Amino acid sequence: MDKPKTNKHLSRRDFIGFSAGAAGLAALAAMAMRSDDGLEENVTTINPDEIKTRETETDVLVIGGGMAGLFAAVKAHDAGANVMLVSKGALGASGQTPFAKGVFCFDAEKEGMTLDEYVAKVSYSALGTNNPVFTRQTAEHSAARVAELREWGFFDNVLCRKPFLHPVEERGIPVKERVTITHLIKENGRIAGAAGFGLDDETVWFYKAKTVILCTGAGGFKPNGFPICDLTHDGTIMAYEIGAKVTGKEWNDGHPGRSGNPAACFDGWGGSGGMFEQVPGTTGVGIRHDLGVDMNYSTYANGGPSEGGGMMGGPPGMMSGNAKGGPQRPAGLEDSGGPGGHPGGGGGGDGKRPSGPPPGGSGKGGRPEMAGGPPQDGQRMGPPPGVDGPPGGGKGGGPGGKGGPPGGGKGGKGGPPGMSGSPVGGSSAGMAIHKAEGLVPINPQCESTIPGLYAAGDALGSYMAGGIYTQIGSSLAGSAVQGAIAGEAAAAKSSELPAVSISAAKRKQVTGEILAPLKRSAGYGPRWVTQTLQGIMIPNFIIYIKKENLMRAALAYIEELRDHHMPQLRAADMHELRLAHETANMIVSAEMKLRASIERKESRCSHFRLDYPEMDDKNWRAWLNIYKGEDGSMQLEKQAFNTWPGGRPAKTA
Amino acid sequence: MPINNISGCIGCETCVQVCPTDVIRMDPKTKKAVIQYQADCQICHLCRMYCPVDAITITPDKSIPVVVSWG
Repeated sequence: MDKPKTNKHLSRRDFIGFSAGAAGLAALAAMAMRSDDGLEENVTTINPDEIKTRETETDVLVIGGGMAGLFAAVKAHDAGANVMLVSKGALGASGQTPFAKGVFCFDAEKEGMTLDEYVAKVSYSALGTNNPVFTRQTAEHSAARVAELREWGFFDNVLCRKPFLHPVEERGIPVKERVTITHLIKENGRIAGAAGFGLDDETVWFYKAKTVILCTGAGGFKPNGFPICDLTHDGTIMAYEIGAKVTGKEWNDGHPGRSGNPAACFDGWGGSGGMFEQVPGTTGVGIRHDLGVDMNYSTYANGGPSEGGGMMGGPPGMMSGNAKGGPQRPAGLEDSGGPGGHPGGGGGGDGKRPSGPPPGGSGKGGRPEMAGGPPQDGQRMGPPPGVDGPPGGGKGGGPGGKGGPPGGGKGGKGGPPGMSGSPVGGSSAGMAIHKAEGLVPINPQCESTIPGLYAAGDALGSYMAGGIYTQIGSSLAGSAVQGAIAGEAAAAKSSELPAVSISAAKRKQVTGEILAPLKRSAGYGPRWVTQTLQGIMIPNFIIYIKKENLMRAALAYIEELRDHHMPQLRAADMHELRLAHETANMIVSAEMKLRASIERKESRCSHFRLDYPEMDDKNWRAWLNIYKGEDGSMQLEKQAFNTWPGGRPAKTA
Repeated sequence: MPINNISGCIGCETCVQVCPTDVIRMDPKTKKAVIQYQADCQICHLCRMYCPVDAITITPDKSIPVVVSWG
């Protein structure tokens, strides 16, 4: 076939027939999509039969171009390995890293606190859910990573592509950008590389590697109001597919957005001059118990957000204590309303009750205070994702900040006001608290249950912070620290291993799976399937306020998407091919999230069950792992807190 | 619209590189950046912030319906 397939659209009437049937499967997701987003003939704009296949080789393959990937590549190189970094987007401009502005930097002398005391405080807030080995590791190594970042210019630039390129170019580390990795490849029981496709070169790429480090971040359901729409748990799912154990899918991240222009994440984080346009800084010790589902619960219990009440612009009963029966908190760690704060919200406050700004307000009072210092309770500004936020927003600024335009800043040149209105949940839907989900580590070197496969940052279920937001700024710091450790460990491991090979049969199978959506003559549009999934998963009463019957109902929908729609996703070009693979990953993630949430019959940290509202220490001082059973079905197992797989104790000393 | 206009593009391709969701592509004929997949814009403004000549305009509304947790 020399030409792309010719256009032959279904008639409007045909489409309505199809969509009515499909809509019956997902009544929750009844949204007005364009007709060509639904079930349609696949009219490709490129010729899938002309796509080339190429292969390259390295010792250590780093997948992901954020903070973890940067350090993994640099440290593996410095340890003597040949390294290649491949990223879905551009180095320093994909994932959550570009939006994160606070880096935790532990200084025992300045804090007047030992590492052990710090770990004990985090563990207290995390209600046992953190892995103290990783909690300590991040604090212990944070200052060294911060010093390197400073040397590369990270703290002098609003945008981090240039400071990230600095050490990579200096070392001559090859970087492949805009390549979507879809498969990890296992041969003879250990990792042998990865495969994916280039958006621009329209090529299927095989990367042979002795070790692979997943720095692919976490993900969500392409939610609105949080810049994570390129993060779809790709690393987690491709590792799960080759047998890796995954943990933490029951936890939630509770960042809200606002009801007006809820997708406007830039505006939500302060608009012009706001969070996204500021240079990064460092944070000191500041331990909280935040960003769980308190706000979702109080809205659920009190009938929806309205003006007034505990927080101007927020729902009544914003504080957890105001809504009976909600999530429990450890004594002494009252909800300070953030580090999360609310998009569109400025800082300031009296230290106890969040005194937010007028809806959508954003002003100088709400600017984050970047440098040093422990956070002040009640000072709040939405942190950028991945960041956990800098400490405090605005120095004691009064409610509302000053002078900010309504709507969270200018939404571009002469555009309508940005994010505004009442707080509304779900801006990061599908994501857990940073580093509470991802691959199960078997040791402090960030190695997974697959020999030769490592993960770092949000791709690793390290439980550095636990199942709730504890230490401000620890996300970026943890990604840097874990990336460095995994890089060195992978380099050392690679030096002991012979060259790997990928069999012809495996190459053929993987190529077929990668290109399948392009080769289908008809199928479901990935955007429609994604929106259907969002409609099933994102409502407050499914993902946040959990109940067995509703989760089982949602699971039935998700299983339908898995069994019927996932095998029929279509793609007209490389962009849609990426969307199709992302959509498939989100479907599997949704199944994991529901199964884990059904299984955990208690409430703890950011996991809240309306039918099991109490913490159950007798049965649930355990993490919940997921793996693929021999029959291909999803299996769940407990792993006791403070242990490695197999029961070895995870001790900090 | 989210990203809704590129005016005065000098063809440096930076915005194409830095868009996390692959919204922008180069027009092979004009050698200028075009908004190819507007529905996938996440309104993060990275393209605008990286643009060396301030050519990109973004508004806060999404071009497709959005799903939130309650409403």
